[in-house]
Amino acid sequence: MVDDEALGAWFCDAILTREASLMRFIRRNWRDAAETADLRQEIYEKVLTGARRELPRNAGHYLFAVARNHLINRAKRAQIVSFDLVADISALADGSDLYSTERQVSARDELRRAQAGLDLLPPRCREVVRLRKVEGLSTRETAERLGVGIDTVEKQLTLGIRAMTDFVLGGTGKIHRWSATARATAGAGNDE
Amino acid sequence: MSDARHIEEQAAQWLLRSEQPDWSEDQSARLREWLDQSYSHKAAFWRLEHGWKKADRLAVLGSGASVSAQRTPTFANWRRLAIAASVALMIALVPTYFIASRDISGGGQQAAEQQFSTALGSRKTVALADGSKVELNTATIGRALVNDRRREFWLDRGEAYFDIVHDAARPFVIYAGTRTVTVLGTKFSVRRDGDRVTVNVIQGRVKVDLGPSRPDGPSTTIGVGDTAVADGDSTIVASRSLEQVERAMSWRQGMLTFDNATLADAAAEFNRYNARKIEILDEQAAQTRIGGTFEANNVDAFARLLREAYGVKVEVDPGAVKISA
Repeated sequence: MVDDEALGAWFCDAILTREASLMRFIRRNWRDAAETADLRQEIYEKVLTGARRELPRNAGHYLFAVARNHLINRAKRAQIVSFDLVADISALADGSDLYSTERQVSARDELRRAQAGLDLLPPRCREVVRLRKVEGLSTRETAERLGVGIDTVEKQLTLGIRAMTDFVLGGTGKIHRWSATARATAGAGNDE
Repeated sequence: MSDARHIEEQAAQWLLRSEQPDWSEDQSARLREWLDQSYSHKAAFWRLEHGWKKADRLAVLGSGASVSAQRTPTFANWRRLAIAASVALMIALVPTYFIASRDISGGGQQAAEQQFSTALGSRKTVALADGSKVELNTATIGRALVNDRRREFWLDRGEAYFDIVHDAARPFVIYAGTRTVTVLGTKFSVRRDGDRVTVNVIQGRVKVDLGPSRPDGPSTTIGVGDTAVADGDSTIVASRSLEQVERAMSWRQGMLTFDNATLADAAAEFNRYNARKIEILDEQAAQTRIGGTFEANNVDAFARLLREAYGVKVEVDPGAVKISA
């Protein structure tokens, strides 16, 4: 068994650095774009489950083998697939560019990237993230500073964490808002 | 909301709370438990933790620095919207609250024991007072006792699939023959064949032991994709894939799935579901290996396929289906 600390470190180091490639792979091979985030999460779960006994030696091969199998299984289960698509997925997983990790980035690049991610956030979400990361305020202090409830701060911060993570891992930083709350807020005139 | 997004939202909430000054040992233990429930939780949490940490670079911008020309905080507007958001949040939380609530009946009274059973070949899903669900397979008898202090289930006969709502304060305990199965909140099945007890896990972690009366007895904790088979004092654990374990639960869709099983085992499995029994008349037929997915209640279709695919002799009479090489 691999202990959690080693598994987590490997996951951040060897798998998350390939997230941009993984997302390209999913988008290329899956017609429903709304499902890409779900597929990513399912693939990560399988990646960890499979690696808990022993860390795979070639993380890139391993990640895309898991991803390919998962897409094929999902497609079969959904019965939406022709064998052509399965063949395509198989062929694509052999493509060489897929295994590349994000190039090493400097601290300055990371700051630029984080700042670009922050700028993309909706205004209220951006302000809460700024108070947390730049001024180091707790959610309670943020709530007091802005004169709003802690729940509201947590809601925005949750969104901010998800969007910032998506962005720094090479995504667009756009997060689907899914809950009844988010919809109700939008309905109440939220212009985000 | 999809499971994946729901998990990501939960992970983000854990992460932001873990950064607060009032984060306690107790909360930390609960986060640990949540993470241990599933690799899906770990994947989501580790990913957000990693990404969010990268945003620490922003700290160099310093207090009061203008992060962006786009920044236009409009606090009056924000406050008005926040009120709407809070109200919406309260409304949205109501059903969750009832599911998570430790005592949905309001008082602290002892709930009565509930009894459930299914006839040969039928299935039934029952909801327990804590929001957990139990699916009973064919010819199964069970009893449940769920109140504000305890969650217990006795599997007296047969097989059941459990979808248990998480509650660290009230572990869910299943008594199945000689074995006790303890969980905090997971998805798994338990099956009894006489003294043999089989546990299949598709989410979270499950502890299988000999119960409080035998604290020194063997105790085994299994996770996603694992199967534990207990007989006498021995417990064997097989680590399989999630798919394989899910296949063992295809009865939930009224199907039986065999992968390289002997015809003898397949017949025994069919006989759990049907009054008309399959009898294997000779050893050669009994050892024939078969695979595939079949309707549990359709013995005739199974017999027909056996004849066509394996060339065995099938004799059908009203009481039994007799198979020979």
